[in-house]
Amino acid sequence: MESRLSKAGIYAALVAFTGLMALPFFWMFITALKAPAEIIQYPPAWWPREIHWENFLDAWRAAPFGRFYFNSILTATAATALQVGLAVFMAYAFAVIRFPGKSALLLIVIATMMIPDELKLIPNFMLLRKLGWIDTYWALIIPPAAHAFPVLVLYYHFKTLPKSLWEAAKLDGAGHTATLLRVALPLSKPMLIAAALVAFVGRWNDYLWPLVVTNRESMRTLPVGLAYLRDSQEGGIQWNLLMAGSLFVIMPVLILYVLGQRHFVEGITRGALKG
Amino acid sequence: MTGLERARRAWRRNRGEWLTFVAFVTPGLFLFAVFTYWPIVYSAYLSLTRWNLPAPTATFVGLDNYTRLFQDESFWQVLANTVVYVVCVVTAAQVLAFALAMLLNQRVKGRTFFRALAFTPYITTTAAAALAWILLLDPRLGPLSFVYNLTDTEGPHWLASSSLALWAIVLVGIWRETGFAALFFLAGLQGLPRECFESARIDGASRWAVLRHITLPLMTPVIFFLSITGTIAAVKMFDTVAIMTEGGPVYPASSTYVYHLYRVGFRDFQMGYASAFAVVFFGLTMAFAVAQFRAAERWVYGGD
Repeated sequence: MESRLSKAGIYAALVAFTGLMALPFFWMFITALKAPAEIIQYPPAWWPREIHWENFLDAWRAAPFGRFYFNSILTATAATALQVGLAVFMAYAFAVIRFPGKSALLLIVIATMMIPDELKLIPNFMLLRKLGWIDTYWALIIPPAAHAFPVLVLYYHFKTLPKSLWEAAKLDGAGHTATLLRVALPLSKPMLIAAALVAFVGRWNDYLWPLVVTNRESMRTLPVGLAYLRDSQEGGIQWNLLMAGSLFVIMPVLILYVLGQRHFVEGITRGALKG
Repeated sequence: MTGLERARRAWRRNRGEWLTFVAFVTPGLFLFAVFTYWPIVYSAYLSLTRWNLPAPTATFVGLDNYTRLFQDESFWQVLANTVVYVVCVVTAAQVLAFALAMLLNQRVKGRTFFRALAFTPYITTTAAAALAWILLLDPRLGPLSFVYNLTDTEGPHWLASSSLALWAIVLVGIWRETGFAALFFLAGLQGLPRECFESARIDGASRWAVLRHITLPLMTPVIFFLSITGTIAAVKMFDTVAIMTEGGPVYPASSTYVYHLYRVGFRDFQMGYASAFAVVFFGLTMAFAVAQFRAAERWVYGGD
């Protein structure tokens, strides 16, 4: 019963609203393709007169982006694997195995989500200094692996699986490790992907922690490396290269998001709306 | 039968089960103990000391850091900035996100595409987005110049102005949080029971009445969730300030609490004093969360 007019209105509003939301991304993209002269031109152009793909090559050479990529991929992947791997066992234990006082223990784990990382920043920095972990991959992998979010997601998921599942596995003579690996995990793929995506994106985008625990250029992750590129450019900021570099940082997450959009959305909205 | 004996029997009966539990949770709990629980205790201790790196050891100074903190003008300034930032971002983003979610919930072609566009802010690395925003807000290099051109005004230079720099940071925060919140509102809207709306329309309720009396009350759990998570995310804001203004143009005009903490700790290397900032931060966020949960009992629909 909707009139054409209101439909057109909805479209116009949608285009305007989402266009504004995507504007920074769009501007980043067109700036990365512009010639230096066109960036300082007034008023700015909405589309480059000539498309300069070679900016990406120049940006790649302007800083050791290959190394930054390696560091980001290695540390984000390892931290994610560790975070989710530990969470799988904890969540299963809390959800399925009998143990006196386990709900209190679970509460203590979940409560850590309320503790701001900023409170841990200085003590953990001091601890890593003592361990000699500053400027090492350990610093970027191990401390961030202690995270309650995947524990929570997987715990609630295991709780939704029918109890008869665990009983049947037990009757078949399967121990807890076998039940977890052969019964519980195959039934939890969407949740595992969601938890892993959230963990990975969190690590990939993190700026404060790598900034604090790395000093050498060779240990920097992409976001930190990008910020240094801006500060180290001689003779003013070359915006086209800087925006091309920004796209290097964003692209992998964007691709992951497109591939895993459904799981991603489900994973992060689950906690809020499960009731 | 004594309690001890009962415990012994329980142990014999459940030994396997209990040991498996311990084996499963110990590696995880060990990491939490070292990198989460211990730092809380250690923070509290450090906040009672003076430890200016590279000095090798801390000197116990009692509550000196706290008395100094409460007399520190920067503390009150960054606290006020953070409150402004949090209140504006959380409120504005929710209003905008709700409108956006209502739009995205319409049956139109290309919904998935629009949804992806709306969500880009959340997945864009803040460090990269902040760089793009420097350009966007530039009165000559960014799209704002068209607006200024049209109105024939010399646009303000947001980041170079002490009165506007904080609002630039707020703007970026709203942009980012809106995409995130819209996603939750959309999921919430899609989960609403259809019958409610149909019977209301049959009863002749206007669109506005349906929105006001059915949709909004049913969405209060989402609003509550988003005010909590939005606030937690907003009080931590660091990246945007670090990249766009470094708290400037005249420090601490646009500085936030966490950026200031970082500066005290990793620029001035006053670890004890920075820990006092961290402990106060912890206290404030906890007090806020408790207050929110208390208040929620009055306005959130349903619940346990």
